Amino acid sequence: MGKGDVAYIRPKSIGVSVPRREDPGLLTGRARYVADIVLPDMLHAAVLRSPIAHGRITSIDVSAAAAMPGVVLVWTGRDVRERCSGLPATMDIPGFVGTVQPVLADDEICFAGEGIAVAVATTRALAEDALEAIVVIFEDYPIVGDVAAAKTAENLANAKVPRNLLYYSDRLSDDVETAFAQAAAKVEGCFRTPRVNASPMEPRGFVARYEWTSKTLTCWSATQMPNLIKTLLAIFLNFPEQNLEVITPFVGGGFGQKAHLHTEEALACLLSIELGRPVSWIEDRQENLLRAPQAKQQVNEMAMAFDSEGRILAMRDSVTTDAGAYNTIPWTALIEGHSGILVATDPYRVPAAALESFSLVTNKCPIGAYRGVGFTGPVLAREILLDRGARALGISPFEIRRRNVLRKEDFPYVSRVGHTIREGTFLETVDKLEAMIDYPAFLERQAAARKEGRYLGLGLSIFSEPTGIGTRTMHFLDSPITSHDTATVRVEPTGKVTVTTGTVTAGQGHHTTLAQIAADAFGIPVEDVTINMGSTKHSVGFGTVASRSAVIGAGTIGRASEMVRVKIRAVAARLLQAEPDEIEMSEGMVHVRGDPGRGMPFAQVVGAIYFADATHPEDFDPALEATAAYDPADIILANGGHAAIVEVDIETGLVRVERMYAVEDCGKMINPVVVEGQIRGGVAQGIGMILLEELIYDANGQLVTATLQDYLLPTADDVPDIEIAHLETPSDLVPAGIKGMGESAMISSPAAVAGAVNDALACLGITIEQFPASPQRIFDAVSAAGKSR
Amino acid sequence: MRRADTDGALETVATVNGQERRFSVMPRASLADALREQLGLTGVKVGCEHGICGACTIMVDGVPARSCLMLGVQAHGRTIRTVEGMTGDAGGDGRTLHALQDAFHRHHALQCGFCTPGMLATAQGLLDDNPNPTREEVRETLSGNICRCTGYQTIVDAVMDVAAARRVAAAAADAATPSASREASTANG
Repeated sequence: MGKGDVAYIRPKSIGVSVPRREDPGLLTGRARYVADIVLPDMLHAAVLRSPIAHGRITSIDVSAAAAMPGVVLVWTGRDVRERCSGLPATMDIPGFVGTVQPVLADDEICFAGEGIAVAVATTRALAEDALEAIVVIFEDYPIVGDVAAAKTAENLANAKVPRNLLYYSDRLSDDVETAFAQAAAKVEGCFRTPRVNASPMEPRGFVARYEWTSKTLTCWSATQMPNLIKTLLAIFLNFPEQNLEVITPFVGGGFGQKAHLHTEEALACLLSIELGRPVSWIEDRQENLLRAPQAKQQVNEMAMAFDSEGRILAMRDSVTTDAGAYNTIPWTALIEGHSGILVATDPYRVPAAALESFSLVTNKCPIGAYRGVGFTGPVLAREILLDRGARALGISPFEIRRRNVLRKEDFPYVSRVGHTIREGTFLETVDKLEAMIDYPAFLERQAAARKEGRYLGLGLSIFSEPTGIGTRTMHFLDSPITSHDTATVRVEPTGKVTVTTGTVTAGQGHHTTLAQIAADAFGIPVEDVTINMGSTKHSVGFGTVASRSAVIGAGTIGRASEMVRVKIRAVAARLLQAEPDEIEMSEGMVHVRGDPGRGMPFAQVVGAIYFADATHPEDFDPALEATAAYDPADIILANGGHAAIVEVDIETGLVRVERMYAVEDCGKMINPVVVEGQIRGGVAQGIGMILLEELIYDANGQLVTATLQDYLLPTADDVPDIEIAHLETPSDLVPAGIKGMGESAMISSPAAVAGAVNDALACLGITIEQFPASPQRIFDAVSAAGKSR
Repeated sequence: MRRADTDGALETVATVNGQERRFSVMPRASLADALREQLGLTGVKVGCEHGICGACTIMVDGVPARSCLMLGVQAHGRTIRTVEGMTGDAGGDGRTLHALQDAFHRHHALQCGFCTPGMLATAQGLLDDNPNPTREEVRETLSGNICRCTGYQTIVDAVMDVAAARRVAAAAADAATPSASREASTANG
């Protein structure tokens, strides 16, 4: 038995849009989030954040702050360094420069918002009051404000990073020059995706409680990766891991931002250990915008060459990531542009590619994971260039994709970076999108609108997504991380099933969807299953990231269930006078295959195992509880596409998204309504990233978009209805043919929206390559085009 | 004149979820913090504390209001309804979802649930004001509440569903009323 084994599960509840069982608690305000946790004697921590982007502290005086009412403790970086030397983040690959984030900076300060002191008081308000009484004198260093400045290496953004370069890779250097020389059409661009904040509605938060009598540390964290942060805290704080528990209450959205070990989490633990009292750290929105991991800021200098039929001859991409001041844990800067170039060619036949990545440090908040990770930037560049290629060659945007997507006859197809693609409905996705949109009707509408001075545009994007990420995928993404997860399945004496999983939920609905999986594993009603999650005490796991929990849930629950099913089959075989391998479970019965009449209720067989020794075979082990690990045997690939129709008002520069379309093939769907919810939420974030959201730092390295009045999240007015179609190509690497999903809309919908803006303005000779396509940027582009005509 | 405690907190009396509540609140505390910390009503969610995200929206005197933009002391003499009181509304038994909550559940109009209490309050205010809204009007009104999970479409569906159900119920009640009164007059006669 190996960790990649796939247990058989026959879908019955799987595939049904079972309403979510977590809803009543959430709808009534009874569900508890980390900020709702109140413990006896609890204290509140507030972090003083650096007002300067680069420099050092020449003096810091906390004496007045420490004497203020309600204040229990004030620490600076020096106090913390004695207890924890910082949070190191690196990747074990040649040439990678690791960094250590100080828990509180005590030497070099590398970005505005970096923590430099902490006050602990009886209320958050009193702790914040104390911060205002801390007197700090700084010495300013020159600021490295962007990747252009970082590349010159005239100044260093972080003294520990030579040449400002965390990592460079010329990952693939095919000869593309020949293809470009022979091309019928060549297109190129320099695409800038914005620096954004995933902005879960619940900011980050952490409560730590150290109990000196038992030497236990209990933590409550709004995290997507409780097991990982437990182990990392044990290592970095030198705390015995067996006495450390991380509890995940309800989490108010994560989207990757909560898939890190944050410096404040280590800080809260240290404070609680020091004080022997629970310490709560709940950030406010400004802290979240200043300090929570940021994402997506890449420059993709991409070019594509086509033959006269529109077939791709070659691709070139040089991606530069603005990583901010440090690597985040565990992903490091690799999560942006470098992971992006590894999927840059994916759904298409690209015979030659030259792909390189630069990851540079700047004096900004570090980047980390956000839905779609670094895939978004190269996909956006590629899809806009495909549209340009189609325009140059006079073929439709659907046709150019049809001519280049991988088809059934191409499988298995090995991409130039070495990804073996075995399946996918790429061609079907293109056809489906074209039918959903009614392309001829759109062209007529577009032409008619132009006559009225209205500018409609259509954008498309086709994607593939490695889902259910485990060891094989992480290794493919040049991140040598090994992972596995476990689930424990127990059949209770009355025939009900309890599952404990290392997966957590931040809104995905795993209490419901994983119950559907376990119900089908035993052929019982979904109501008979309860999923326990949210404590590191019972299961291990990598976390809820990268469209993995459906896959990992099915894999682990399937394998653990099979260990229990063997016992049930053995006893049932005796009771039904059949062979164990003839026994199956369905409709709440355990019966002989093909003969439901020859069977007995599931609960009755289970009851016999618990209470009727005479029914047991010889040397029978009656434990109806099993724990199993799972790690997918290979990369699991989902696929699909997005389309957007927008209208650009060239007088104001305002873009209105009229309609969005999504096609998703995530294999067998567990709960279609949940799948559609993931798509719609991701599309809304895609619209935000391309039209609204941008973290802007000024020349002094100050974040000028530190409120939601300046950092614009899409509202109900900005997001249209989204039409969704499903394709289902079952995976044979996962029970029931499930593939993961959840990330996809943020991989690909930004490209569709960006392409639509470009399509709307193409008739004016305007291209938009810097995003968000804000009214100002569009207005400027239209003005410039008007002047040049 | 309201009494101040020794530490400067003001005694505040308000009707909260149908009951008179008496609590002490520091003058600088927001109403959101006061409800969460003094009364334990943690269904009031704090998302931005500057009036943009709408997660803290509650009903004050029957109208949606952002509790992060009000002070706790301003609750004095007012009637407040938070999400915790919703199941007890309109004669609810406290253990049955309100029609809006039920519609959100059926339409998958929530994922992480953090924006949901505020969305429900805004939606209730909308339907009280405009029983017959268009999808565009619903989107317009909900645009003061940010949801990062759902993409809004299913929230609009849920609100439209409740509006339609109320119209059907109102029409049925209208149809029933004359005959009911006739029966009553017959009985009296």
